[in-house]
Amino acid sequence: MRKTLLALLLGLTATTAFAAGEHGGSHDATGEADIDRTIRFEAGDMWFAPEGLDIAPGETLRFEITNTGHLEHEFVIGDAEAQEAHRRMMLEMGGSHGHGEHGGHDMAEGAHGGQMPSVTIAPGETAVLVWTAPANVDDLEYACNIPGHYEAGMSGTIEFQG
Amino acid sequence: MASSRVITQPLSRRQLLKGGAALGLGSAAALGLRPSWADPWGQTSTYAKGIEEGPEVSLAIRRESLPIAGQEAHPISINGGSPGPLIRLREGQDAVLRVTNLLDEPTSIHWHGLILPPGMDGVPGISFAGIAPGETFTYRFPVRQNGTYWYHSHSGLQEQLGHAGPLIIDAAEREPFRYDREHVLLLTDWTFEEPMAVFRNLKTAEGYYNFQERTVADFFADVRERGFAATAEQRGMWARMRMSSRDIADVTGSTYTYLINGHSPEENWTALFRAGERIRLRIINGSAMSYFDVRIPGLRMTVVAADGQPVQPVPVDEFRIAVAETYDVLVAPENDTAYTLFAESMDRSGYARATLAPREGMTAELPERRRIADRGMEAMGAHGMAGMDHSTMEGMDHSGIGGMDHSTMEGMDHSGMGGMDHSSMEGMDRSNMPGMDHSNRPGISGEQDRIAAGGMLAAGAAQPGSRYDQAGIGIDPDERRVLVYRDLKAFTPWPDRREPGRELELHLTGNMERYMWSFDGRKFSEVSGPIHFAKDERLRLILINDTMMEHPIHLHGMWMELENGQGELIPRKHTLNVKPGERVSALITADAVGSWAFHCHLLYHMDAGMFRVVEVS
Repeated sequence: MRKTLLALLLGLTATTAFAAGEHGGSHDATGEADIDRTIRFEAGDMWFAPEGLDIAPGETLRFEITNTGHLEHEFVIGDAEAQEAHRRMMLEMGGSHGHGEHGGHDMAEGAHGGQMPSVTIAPGETAVLVWTAPANVDDLEYACNIPGHYEAGMSGTIEFQG
Repeated sequence: MASSRVITQPLSRRQLLKGGAALGLGSAAALGLRPSWADPWGQTSTYAKGIEEGPEVSLAIRRESLPIAGQEAHPISINGGSPGPLIRLREGQDAVLRVTNLLDEPTSIHWHGLILPPGMDGVPGISFAGIAPGETFTYRFPVRQNGTYWYHSHSGLQEQLGHAGPLIIDAAEREPFRYDREHVLLLTDWTFEEPMAVFRNLKTAEGYYNFQERTVADFFADVRERGFAATAEQRGMWARMRMSSRDIADVTGSTYTYLINGHSPEENWTALFRAGERIRLRIINGSAMSYFDVRIPGLRMTVVAADGQPVQPVPVDEFRIAVAETYDVLVAPENDTAYTLFAESMDRSGYARATLAPREGMTAELPERRRIADRGMEAMGAHGMAGMDHSTMEGMDHSGIGGMDHSTMEGMDHSGMGGMDHSSMEGMDRSNMPGMDHSNRPGISGEQDRIAAGGMLAAGAAQPGSRYDQAGIGIDPDERRVLVYRDLKAFTPWPDRREPGRELELHLTGNMERYMWSFDGRKFSEVSGPIHFAKDERLRLILINDTMMEHPIHLHGMWMELENGQGELIPRKHTLNVKPGERVSALITADAVGSWAFHCHLLYHMDAGMFRVVEVS
């Protein structure tokens, strides 16, 4: 049951997630008008502010994430299980992110070969991630899965209201 | 645009508390813990021996009868407990610590790892006169750092009697990690013998506490495995070194009971948590002589600080903690179950143990204990090459053999090795070393490329002969993920970015059989004056371990920036573990005018003479 749900979620997010870094949102597939809310995040060493988020199912969100820390961070949305799988993979890769340049369009590989919307942010930079929440889903997490960062506190919960 | 709102949410106390509540964090009272201290981020703190809150603290030192491990014992107590209470200060405070000596001999307290005025450092004969019986000495100093530290007597062998305790300094600004609860774990090694008797036994027969020496049965097993000639040769070599390959620790579990917060393994000190919490464990090795390998089967630990200084987080399954080091780790138990915190002594002669559990009275299984390791060839490091058949040297780690003159190695005595020149790799003729494996030298050619003018390495580069990628003897890196020094990485460069103006090389030397320990072959009683640092100079300290044992080297008054190859982000430490045969370096900014102790933190090594005074002027 849980796996079916996850597959459904990943199918949805893969088509609607979009990430843009310093090079702006020129190839933004989602028009301004479709964005319900803009949420500003701070990614510090080793925390996100805010630490939790309440959203409505189906809501389209534009995340502006500013890295105010000294280290590179990522912002990944997914359920706890997929985040854990991504984390394990990154630890095995010896900490290298393997997604190439920071701030680019970025999908993190999660459980079951699925993908999670994600963006990597260099210190001092701001990245944008546009994401439409699925209509029917359990609670999700946002996290930085660079080895040690999640464990040190870089995560938050997304709770679905209504 | 439908309903576009911009939300900015600066971090507030309320939100943090809310976050804690979301994680299922209960109040301290509900768990029945001592709610003696809570910080703005809502975590509680427990320490079995009580807590003294700064900035003003009074401590009374006594010798009294207290049970240890359920037996009658006669330790030194601090405010009625042994080891002493947790002292909790806050960064930015002006600490006032009044220490009253109710012993019948002089005493002292040294605040280990704190940067403070020289008169407040607590080393009798160097910082001050000591505290005479019946007297009170008031330590006053500004607290300008934060993190996990400890304190202990610096008088004679008093530390062995439990004259030690944790010293925690809460940060003025947010630390680079989050947690819901913390626990402080102080590791110590207790003996029911008088410390002077232990020292006499070591002087009389170095192997006195080592019941794990190789036996005749081992010899025949080796002969079966390796053949007679190789076995006999290796035995002969160890004999010439006046060492045994099983000299892992010189005082062992045959006399020691290993304690966590004063509790023996059977007493099983228990730290409480709620499933889903993130817990900070502040682990301090306050032992006189014992290194530990710490793990919590079933939980991954994330190392977030070393020697009180934040480091970029490192997920590990196990870490080795040298005497006097501290490590902060985070754990996040998901399940409502008990976990064993297992601290196995490096020589495997015993262990300390505690339990992390959601409720009192729960226990988890004890992991299987590992057997004592034999010191292999890597321990020979910089020496011991004489008379060896090079054809048997397959797979050796030669990381410490730079520039050696093999002609001086015959029948060597460790005490005479001060004059060896290890400073240059250039002179080595590798063609004469068939079968040697050089692959273990971390990036040696890269390091040579970076040699700056004047023949010195660039700041932060690892010395040839360092083994920062190895945890050390008795650890199998394939078995689980073990912390190594190379993992330690600061968040930002330390303030002084200058290249070192000079190098100071010191050999760690010893004669095991006579239990003599020294720097450069001379005991403290034999040296004429202090080591001189010029005020505000930037220098590189190079430590070369010519002995077969680990030594935790501690500098008072100034940080040592461990050159573990992390460039600008090298970590800073107060205590450096130097493995046998290893060459380790640290950068020091000599900004603390005055006289400071510099010594091996193995208590009996320090007492035997592995001690110097550093004078900054």
